[in-house]
Amino acid sequence: MLSEMEFGEEGKVIEIDEGLRKRIAGVGIRVGKKLRMATRQPIKGPVVIELDRVNTSLGFGFANKIVVDVKE
Amino acid sequence: MGNPNVGKSVLFNRLTGADVVQSNYPGTTVDYTRGYMKLKDEEMEIIDVPGTFSLEPKDKAEEVAVEMLKENRDSVVVCVFDSTKIERGLYLALEIIEREYPVMIVLNMWDDAMVRNIHVDVKKLESILGVPVVATIATAGEGIKEFVSRIGYASRVKIEDIMRGVGHYGTDR
Repeated sequence: MLSEMEFGEEGKVIEIDEGLRKRIAGVGIRVGKKLRMATRQPIKGPVVIELDRVNTSLGFGFANKIVVDVKE
Repeated sequence: MGNPNVGKSVLFNRLTGADVVQSNYPGTTVDYTRGYMKLKDEEMEIIDVPGTFSLEPKDKAEEVAVEMLKENRDSVVVCVFDSTKIERGLYLALEIIEREYPVMIVLNMWDDAMVRNIHVDVKKLESILGVPVVATIATAGEGIKEFVSRIGYASRVKIEDIMRGVGHYGTDR
């Protein structure tokens, strides 16, 4: 889950919850997209991810519905 | 129309000589503004709208933008992009093209893209999409003349034609 990524970790989006897909497509998050965790706030706080050299913030609820394949 | 914080209002002020509040923060424009400019002795009405990421509004300001689009079925839609965030811009522009509005695209903040070493092939984008594409630096007034001169060439295109041009037509359905 995107919400579980550690600071600085990079990964590729492999699955997005059906109901969420359209809502976040507008900011460029889609399956196949590479991203990097920039900031993760504690206690189910929002996350900031970097994709296409742009920082985008997402609420925990959103981040928790995005599956990311993290590179080791 | 365009994403938040791409310079729509700066462009609007350039065109109309108006003095709409502009700032470097997304969400500065929350309501629409009408202005007028002359193009070849013809008066044109221009509407500045709040930024939105898609045509499915998620807040009040986005709602205003989408409503304005619906209320002005016969308008030419100028899609303003942040040249460093092309994909986001394209998402919205394609949604608007899909709804059969005549569209032209302005790649604003071109200087920012240059500084960040982001290269966009304007001519190629134009040939793929079939609508006019111009690069501008609204804050410096660059590219505005070319933009204005091409508003008249904004055109309605079929999304299928774009897909065919890209070469992926039919592959992901």
